[in-house]
Amino acid sequence: MTNSGLLTTSVGSLPKPPYLLEARRKVSRKQLDPQALADLERRATEEWIRRQEEVGIDILVDGEMYRGDMVAFFADQMDGFEIAGLVRSYGNRYYPKPAVTAPVGRRGPLTVTWFTFAQGLTSKPVKGMLTGPYTIAEWSFNEYYPTRRELVLELARAVHDEAVDLEKAGARYIQIDEPAIHTRPEEDFELAVEAMEIVTRGLTAYTITHVCYGDVPRIYPAMLRLPVHQIDLALKNDEFALLETFRSPRFTKDIGLGVIDAHSHRIESSEEVAEGIRRSLKVIPLPQVYISPDCGLKTRTADEAAAKLEVMVEGTRQVRKELS
Amino acid sequence: MQTTVVGNYPKIPDPPAPGRWRTSVEKLQRGEISPDDLHRIEDEVTAEVLREQADAGIDVVTDGQIRWEDGLTYFTRRLTGFTINGLQRYFDTNIYYRQPVVTAEVEWREPIAVSDYAFAAAHSARPVKPVVTGPFTLAVLSKDEFYGNRDQLVMALAAALNRELRALAGSGAVLIQVDEPGLLIQRDRFAVFQRAMEALWDGVNARRALYTYFGHIDGLYPALLDLPVDVLGFDFVAGARNWEVIGRARFTKELGLGIVDARNTRLETPDEIAEACRRAAEIVPASSLHVGPSAGLEFLPRRVARKKLETLVAGVRRAWEGAA
Repeated sequence: MTNSGLLTTSVGSLPKPPYLLEARRKVSRKQLDPQALADLERRATEEWIRRQEEVGIDILVDGEMYRGDMVAFFADQMDGFEIAGLVRSYGNRYYPKPAVTAPVGRRGPLTVTWFTFAQGLTSKPVKGMLTGPYTIAEWSFNEYYPTRRELVLELARAVHDEAVDLEKAGARYIQIDEPAIHTRPEEDFELAVEAMEIVTRGLTAYTITHVCYGDVPRIYPAMLRLPVHQIDLALKNDEFALLETFRSPRFTKDIGLGVIDAHSHRIESSEEVAEGIRRSLKVIPLPQVYISPDCGLKTRTADEAAAKLEVMVEGTRQVRKELS
Repeated sequence: MQTTVVGNYPKIPDPPAPGRWRTSVEKLQRGEISPDDLHRIEDEVTAEVLREQADAGIDVVTDGQIRWEDGLTYFTRRLTGFTINGLQRYFDTNIYYRQPVVTAEVEWREPIAVSDYAFAAAHSARPVKPVVTGPFTLAVLSKDEFYGNRDQLVMALAAALNRELRALAGSGAVLIQVDEPGLLIQRDRFAVFQRAMEALWDGVNARRALYTYFGHIDGLYPALLDLPVDVLGFDFVAGARNWEVIGRARFTKELGLGIVDARNTRLETPDEIAEACRRAAEIVPASSLHVGPSAGLEFLPRRVARKKLETLVAGVRRAWEGAA
């Protein structure tokens, strides 16, 4: 697909329907067979693929119905990790934080089966969705490697192998999420760039990284050196204040423009979306702009998420019409 | 030589034990229980973590900060002048806090931590030290929309929190700890920090502890020795350089020796702890050492936090036996 500008997509996760949440609870209590859960995950994936098609999204995601946490999903399937326990991130939100206790590595493909299933349901492109090496390392305890650097680079090699497998399976878009990338910008940003170089080396797919939560101006313009085609960012939750940062030096990558707040219940108006896009186009040229929500929508209800995607597409269409 | 903790403690036990606090917050959000019901659960959890610290053999404990949403909200929501904004990353961690916004004159209007301290003191087998987030750190992590002058905000907070410290001392606290990790990210503002400490501790009739963590104090030492406090607590894990730094001038305070890594599940051995204690005892008399974790323990799953405390106590005991 050539980009005439303003292609719409999602960041990755979508809400799990109530029947799936219930099934996950039952499996954790050993009241339901994991195979039955997998059937429901496929059903929910198909529902979200259809929903995205109906809404008119251009580049789809599988919605991650089968993932719990974005780091634990990878850690659970790889060598070298144990789940240490639950750690609180904010409020009553807890996440299962893995601990690296031995050399890390892939036993086999981690995401390919689900990618293939989702892509088989639609003629639109589906993104391959990976968590980046810096984020996996940063959101795990490191009991094994003497330095964070060694852990990050070893993980980068594993994530690269996964990206190659996704590409072989037909993925034309591969997203490598790095929400932790600005945790220690002065100390570690070069390491994160080096790790991303390992991940994306030799790929022919269109590559994206998603960065959120934190001080983006602190890693600008350094972030433009990340070897990916697109950087996907949350603009809406700070009412597009980041545009000031991107005026100078100018934003040289493609941008995944977050135009919908993923963490509020309020459904934006399509005019609000359109206005956000218009403001952004004054700073970043049209061919570089893709449209997405700020972040994964999994913390919204299914209805909220669908409504947010609808206004996102409507607002985008409005701007396209004005430009044509 | 005594053992202590720096601050928070995991609020929920490891699965499959039920995370009562977590489920209670969910129930409160769904309107199934009242705020009073949650308060009672928090009483019980506070008593439980006080017991757990005592059972591990810790000499001076905290209430585990079970009722703290985060180190900023807990204080700023009960001062005048603040509203509370969206989530921000807490230093270089994967923990988030809601950012306080200063929109009016900052003033102390009522005791903030006093009733929680009194509850803990009444339910603890060991002496309890209340912990207060310091004025400098509150100012650094807040957004100022009122003063337009960062130093003025720090001093306003110091004056407000002085009243809190006096109230804590008046309610029987014999040792009060103030946390200032924010100093380590704005080291060049030591002059205002020092003025703030003088205002903060003025007329506070208790022993005074000041803790920094998440980094080293190079560039701030020996100036820190001029502050009007009795105990200076440092992080010797994230700030391993502190070993060398505190050797540069005679250490004239009591020392909070943060040597158990509060942010990694890797367990220290009692021998490592004992060795660090002996090393510290060459710098500061053993009777002036407060040995503890490098920071609050809520970065860890409960089971690991408990084990870390047991190891800490075993190591300190070994250091004593070695010295005897």
